[in-house]
Amino acid sequence: MSQEHHQNDLEPDPYTKRVLEDGLSRRSFLSRAAGGAAALGLSGLGSLPAEAATAPEAKGLAFGLSGDGGATLSFLPKPRPIRDREISETLTFDVVVVGAGASGVPAALSAAENGAKVAVIQKAPFALSQGNTGSGVDLATSEKAGVEALVARLIADSNHRCDPKLIRQWAYNSGEAVRWVIDRARKGGATVVDQGSPVQRAILKVNGYPMGYVTSFFGPKPYTTGDGMRSLAQTAEKAGVRFFYNMPAVQLVQARSGEVLGVIARGADGKYRKFLAKKGVILATGDYQNNKAMSDYFVPDVKHLGRKQLDKTGDGFALAYWAGGVFEPIGHTKMLHDFDAGPPSMCDMPFLAVDRKGRRFVNETVEMSLLNNYLRDAENAGHYSQIFDSNYMTQAAAWPGKLISPEGLKNYMPDDPSPKKGVFESQVNTHVAGTLEELARKIEADPATLVATVKRYNEVVASGKDSDFGKPADRLIPVMQPPFYGIHRRVRVSAICSGMLVDERHQILNAEGKPIKGLFAIGNLGGGFYGGVDYPLTVFGLSLGRCYTFGYLTGRHVARL
Amino acid sequence: MNNLTVSRSLGVGLAGLLAAASLAAAPAKAARTSKHAGQGITCVQCHGKSARKEAVPMRQCVGCHGDTVALAARTAQIKPTNPHQNRHYGTQADCNLCHHEHAVSENLCLPCHTRFTFQVP
Repeated sequence: MSQEHHQNDLEPDPYTKRVLEDGLSRRSFLSRAAGGAAALGLSGLGSLPAEAATAPEAKGLAFGLSGDGGATLSFLPKPRPIRDREISETLTFDVVVVGAGASGVPAALSAAENGAKVAVIQKAPFALSQGNTGSGVDLATSEKAGVEALVARLIADSNHRCDPKLIRQWAYNSGEAVRWVIDRARKGGATVVDQGSPVQRAILKVNGYPMGYVTSFFGPKPYTTGDGMRSLAQTAEKAGVRFFYNMPAVQLVQARSGEVLGVIARGADGKYRKFLAKKGVILATGDYQNNKAMSDYFVPDVKHLGRKQLDKTGDGFALAYWAGGVFEPIGHTKMLHDFDAGPPSMCDMPFLAVDRKGRRFVNETVEMSLLNNYLRDAENAGHYSQIFDSNYMTQAAAWPGKLISPEGLKNYMPDDPSPKKGVFESQVNTHVAGTLEELARKIEADPATLVATVKRYNEVVASGKDSDFGKPADRLIPVMQPPFYGIHRRVRVSAICSGMLVDERHQILNAEGKPIKGLFAIGNLGGGFYGGVDYPLTVFGLSLGRCYTFGYLTGRHVARL
Repeated sequence: MNNLTVSRSLGVGLAGLLAAASLAAAPAKAARTSKHAGQGITCVQCHGKSARKEAVPMRQCVGCHGDTVALAARTAQIKPTNPHQNRHYGTQADCNLCHHEHAVSENLCLPCHTRFTFQVP
């Protein structure tokens, strides 16, 4: 990061200032509760008995209902500290990483390569991650003006609510970090390639300035970054990192001064273990999409939408919050996709789209990654279908995206006996039928509704003007010639990508804007990198690229403390 | 959508607490919906005698039923996929995620994998 972007230490930058003012911390919460608890239904919190040693969800449910009764703050009550006599074993390291995912494993290895004695404690039986692509900027082939133009684009993508210094930190360090992940994962046996710049077609130039990229790809599916991180963990073990699996963190060890000294975890044997960290604890537990209380409170938009992940219960959020950390304000950024039901390259092509019943609902030039906003009610729950007829290869040939031939579509058809390749077989959901009624049944829509929708759509197409939704005339093609095709997509939550307030060292800040000694957050637990309604798809693989980069930098930073 | 883990584990936790409460009141009585009780297994054999009752941990299940690696081998031929060997948990999925003792068991796969229509005993 260049010198001119450094902020005066005395005055927080606008991003940090906003989060300190509007975010949720124990301090802000208690003062707000005292000032006007009734509106939130929070009275009684002050007298909450803190008895249970693990997160007391059952007790918390009695408190903190939102105005409509839907959202609860059951993650709020801080549990009573686990006593030393309850600890079966104490282990001491320099750095303790909580969570073995796309930021935690790189952080652990990076810390070990910088001389630290490192432990990783992981709730699951092994390292986990999702997705295939993780990206960085190749500074050697990029114009400085282009890097800054890309930074500006990403800030705009986040509706100008992100922390610019974190975007710059990714931009200027990601090429090095992603290359490092590729090299070290390969040493652990991973199947990974650098796809470079060609896959980032839309941003080869930004504002006219040439750009180059490092694009790591763990795949093809069903192989994912999860497999890649398990290989990277092998490399980390060889470098001396100790992994403790089936070992969920339950509490931080915190001094009276606020300094974090370690983590207490609970093994499958039911016993508590204390992991002391001489230099710091790095939380990398991922998002909280499977924690209903946190989800309903911070991003109620996804209340009725399915989840793609399991066990992402926001453990690190609770730990950081109990330690004094600050949640980014309500209205967190979400990521909802379906790249699996049909060809990913056709997901943004503006074919007729119908909701779960079979009604047209949108100008189809809206990208798949944003359609969740139209389908978030309980009935639709993220379901929609793209509909086209047998002339699609010629009639849609000029559209952006890449068409897959009828033969290639069979790879996405559950009813077609052909062996599937490069897909999640259980998630493919593309169909073909001789009539619209039959197609409707296959995509689980109402046949009469779909027939009526297509009739109306064909009238609009014939008129040459989309008087219903205003889609451009060159994106209007009829649905007339059988067989008919339907890609039944179902957008679900891939990730929630807002987090806890951190500085550029990824150290968690307290409600006064001061770093909590010994406590860091990376990956989707770290705040400041997004801020818009939805995760942007400008840089394909930004999410994993950011996880690798901040893991790489933070592991190194904490090891050198 | 019913794959929000916290609400599920909370459900399990509460079920465990309720079962424990009824057992404290009438130790000789079996839980009403218990499959194990019909086979002469008593509450304390799973829930223990501790005053603080918790959901039965998985180590308690495998203590009697055996290792999950062997279980996965026994169910290897189940179509469309082996429920005891998967990419999310390997062979180490917590039994309680699907198999419930005092409530109707559930198919954890189904919300995401709509064609994995296992009947969970």
